[in-house]
Amino acid sequence: MTKNNVATSGLEQPNLKIGYMPLSDSLPLLVADEMGFFAREGLSVELQQEVSWANIRDKVLVGHLDAAQMLAPMLLATHLGIGGLRKPMQTAFAMGLNGNAFTISNNLAAELAATDIHDISGNAKQALDALKTVISQRKTENKPTLIFAIVFPFSIHNFLLRDWLASAGINPDSDVQLVVLPPSQMVDHLALQHIDGFFAGAPWNTVAIQRGVGECLVSGPDLWSNAPDKVLGTTQQWANDNPNTLNSMIRALYQACAWADANRDDAAKLLAKHIHLPVDAVQPALSGKFVYRKRQPATQVDDMLVFNRYHANYPWPEHGQWFLSQMQRWGWAADNLDNDAIVNECYATATYRAALADQALPPTSHQLRFDIQQAWELDDTAMGATGFKYR
Amino acid sequence: MSLDAPQISSASSSLKIMLVDDQPARAAILEQALTDAGCTVVARLSSAQGLMKRVEEHQPDAIIIDIESPDRDMLEHMSVLNQHNPKPVIMFSDEDDSSTIEKAIRAGVSAYIVDGLNPKRVKSIMDVAVARFREFQALRGELEKTKNQLADRKLLDEAKSLLMKHKNLNEEEAYHAMRKMAMDRGQRMVDVAKNIISVMNLFND
Repeated sequence: MTKNNVATSGLEQPNLKIGYMPLSDSLPLLVADEMGFFAREGLSVELQQEVSWANIRDKVLVGHLDAAQMLAPMLLATHLGIGGLRKPMQTAFAMGLNGNAFTISNNLAAELAATDIHDISGNAKQALDALKTVISQRKTENKPTLIFAIVFPFSIHNFLLRDWLASAGINPDSDVQLVVLPPSQMVDHLALQHIDGFFAGAPWNTVAIQRGVGECLVSGPDLWSNAPDKVLGTTQQWANDNPNTLNSMIRALYQACAWADANRDDAAKLLAKHIHLPVDAVQPALSGKFVYRKRQPATQVDDMLVFNRYHANYPWPEHGQWFLSQMQRWGWAADNLDNDAIVNECYATATYRAALADQALPPTSHQLRFDIQQAWELDDTAMGATGFKYR
Repeated sequence: MSLDAPQISSASSSLKIMLVDDQPARAAILEQALTDAGCTVVARLSSAQGLMKRVEEHQPDAIIIDIESPDRDMLEHMSVLNQHNPKPVIMFSDEDDSSTIEKAIRAGVSAYIVDGLNPKRVKSIMDVAVARFREFQALRGELEKTKNQLADRKLLDEAKSLLMKHKNLNEEEAYHAMRKMAMDRGQRMVDVAKNIISVMNLFND
């Protein structure tokens, strides 16, 4: 049975509309389109670039988009009806790992440098100590609270930033102010000193750094190596109605992700073209030669953007569990949910395994172990709000 | 021109609406329509600058925003931060009402509505907004068309003048010559005009 036979027969929806945001980690979709991976599976895809996550969510919900690149927590929030319409959602494919960083203004960098704490750049613990010191100092001097921007309330950016701050006893709701801004505006607001930092995805950190308006304090991998972020999201209805199509999409995207991991230079050119930024701006995160501060030599961050290796595309239920637990921690989701059932429903591991049966798959018994701050293991830690404490 | 709009509010319970739109002409049309329907437009912002403060200040019942505005995510955040802040309107749609949301998305309108607002009033607001956005889109289309027609007209006149001057034709003869060229070549008149202009200018430089 040739690939083409499998591909073109039984596709419920060969013509698809898939949404994405102009970010470096939308690359799998761009590659699948331009390098013919979608076509090889018999799919004719129209990629639609959107301007907001809310648009992506709403358009998927009403069916204007068949599928989209989604923030995994946004998918869960939609599934639970938090902050919007409630609709059963599903992902059978994670689009990659990492890609994010925390970039601060030159002013804040100067304040941090003025503390006694050394070696803060790229060091999660030192940077946090310095930040905590500056926050206390500013309080005693009656200076306004620091303002940090994130892309969307239900995002790895919001959750990881909160978790990191809270681990030092900084209250992310009162000791700092978190605001949502579109990534392109973050750079301008940083330059204008309207915000003191932002936690966002590539290439926006590099854009800010290259413009000289800020520097990276810590990268995402400095906080959590191989953190989850975007997934391919659909409604459960769509997935149930179009199983063969979904199967083909997963196969196409898997090939695209493998290509992206193996062809970083070409990927950079492809990406720059689609998101209308210079190749220089997207290179650092893609190549792993990441510059934290302008005119400083690059730091080798091999896994700054991971598309396929480490089983990155597997929809790890453990990631879903972590996201859910954070939503409960901050009071956005109820404590008495059946977290296992929800993650089971939303993270369609069986669909992934069926689609990629001819590829290397994570063993079914394998449990993902995280490396976040002090590494903790899911088997031992109780999930939910009670598992976390901060002053 | 204002279409007859159902009264959404009465004097005693005028809904407070905030508009976020970077197209002032469209916002003006919408503000008028909402006012005609008995609502109070408490603020018209062209961007999300100071949006949070204004929302706190005015406590609007609804915020209408262009679907292509990247500031939607900021409104999403606000609705999560505070239960009392307006929530995405898609939340209030149900099976019977899904067409309202679809129409809205197609017309390019998005809205955030406070919890507890009568669904009929929500639908009325959305209907007014959708109608006005569509009207604006149509007007813009017409304007584009008119601009193009004017530009084409200028080119035709220029080509005619050149023919008259350099080929000693009167206006009617020049026009017919161009028309014949267009028909013989299966081209539009304006393209014939462009060709004539570039050739004539070359010839006479």
